[in-house]
Amino acid sequence: MTALLKLWGGYLRLTARWPSIGSIVPFLPVIAAWWLVTALELFPRVFLPGPVEVAQSFVTLTYKGILPAYLQDSMVRLAVGAFWGIALGIPLGLLIGLSRRAHAVLWPLLLFFQAIGDIAWLPILVIWFGYGLVTMTFVIVYTVIFPVVLNTVLGVRTIHVNMYRAALSLGASRLRVLWEVVLPGALPNIVTGLRNGLGYGWRALIAAEIIVGTSGIGFLMFDARRAGSVVEIILGMIILGILWYIVDSWILAPIERATGQRWGMVMR
Amino acid sequence: MKSLTLRNLSKTYFDLYAGTQVTAVHDVSLDVPAGEFVSIVGPSGCGKSTILNMIAGFIPITGGEILVGGAPVKGPGRDRGVVFQSFALFPWRTVLDNVAFGPKMRGIAKAEREQIAREYLALAKLSEAADRYPNELSGGMQQRVGVVRALANEPDVLLMDEPFASVDAQTRMTLQEELTRIWQEKKPTVVFITHDVSEAVFLANRVIALSRGRVLDEIAVELPRPRSWDALHEDAAFKALTGRVLQLVRSA
Repeated sequence: MTALLKLWGGYLRLTARWPSIGSIVPFLPVIAAWWLVTALELFPRVFLPGPVEVAQSFVTLTYKGILPAYLQDSMVRLAVGAFWGIALGIPLGLLIGLSRRAHAVLWPLLLFFQAIGDIAWLPILVIWFGYGLVTMTFVIVYTVIFPVVLNTVLGVRTIHVNMYRAALSLGASRLRVLWEVVLPGALPNIVTGLRNGLGYGWRALIAAEIIVGTSGIGFLMFDARRAGSVVEIILGMIILGILWYIVDSWILAPIERATGQRWGMVMR
Repeated sequence: MKSLTLRNLSKTYFDLYAGTQVTAVHDVSLDVPAGEFVSIVGPSGCGKSTILNMIAGFIPITGGEILVGGAPVKGPGRDRGVVFQSFALFPWRTVLDNVAFGPKMRGIAKAEREQIAREYLALAKLSEAADRYPNELSGGMQQRVGVVRALANEPDVLLMDEPFASVDAQTRMTLQEELTRIWQEKKPTVVFITHDVSEAVFLANRVIALSRGRVLDEIAVELPRPRSWDALHEDAAFKALTGRVLQLVRSA
């Protein structure tokens, strides 16, 4: 028992010094199990290829330039969609959070349209906009915007009345209060909304690419199914996971550390 | 610094649950000359915080008037600085930026407002904490920041709403002594709300006893300054004064 605890302590010290080790180690048993299952040939190879074949297909597709191009397409779509989702979602959330009238008018609409769901829009979007960036962007914006709006509203409503009072009695105008109190006060929740929104948006993008795409990671996977290449399907799945991990730990987590956690508004 | 006048100030509101009109503040009149320190003392629910919130302009008045330097009060404004029981520091700003917030709203340039903030932080012995965030400070230090943040904006009247009620007893005594020292140095007009009788007497030139929204009586405190707990806690005059105020508050 103490030996196990010592091992764990050593692991914690190691990952504290090299955090990237901490993000790789948990996957090692998963990969080992996967390799073992394929090495024992419990399932036919064409149905379940091993890690080595997937790695080989990664190298081949990268070398041919297909993977980098598709990756770029998917990331650009996500970035464009996320940009508009944030640019529309945050102001809308602030408006609904601050104004009772806006809340009364917009809240029922918000709930109604939230229920329709991103993919449910695809049939009509394809008729309206065809198989292109507009359709993809619409789906991502649609997915990103709801978590951003709902969390921004929550963030605005959790700001204590004394924050407004303090700012006003220190001479802030209503407009300054919006910038100096409402926005930073709601920021921890806005970041949470962003994290949820981008997570959903990422999944919606892949779904959209599978259904209407002509390029991108989702299209890669669907195209591989047509060709019967399980290797490429699994490669696509792994890339989805890794990409999200990168977006989260390189973009979202640093923002969280620099804002809500730094300010003591969110637990570390 | 300016004077503060309350004339027949009243606050009634409709209690939705009881379904009746409730009077929280009843016909309160008070004259605070420029540079005076007044304490308003009374039990919870006596209307003292309601009075302060009306002076600050946070809630509307329903009768009478409030004048600062002869001009009626309309909503919150920088002429009345407020220190809150819950500190109400901006958690997303460093201590320095919290204190520099008022000057920033006045349009004072960055270098100058940081200079002002540093001077006030030094006044409360907080220079070391300038670059830290409020959540990294103890409650006592946070409230020191709260006090100098209000003072750094040079208000005409300083309103303090039970500012030391949520810090521990030892820290509270230190903060009270520091407040009397800072008051002597800057001589702001102060209205200090508290339920603690000895705190009210220790700090003020005059104590107003309040109960059920009415002024019971007021007692002048002519204890010498600077005041310290070491000197006063066994002082006969101090004990006599607190005894009188306590009797007044408890009799109502």
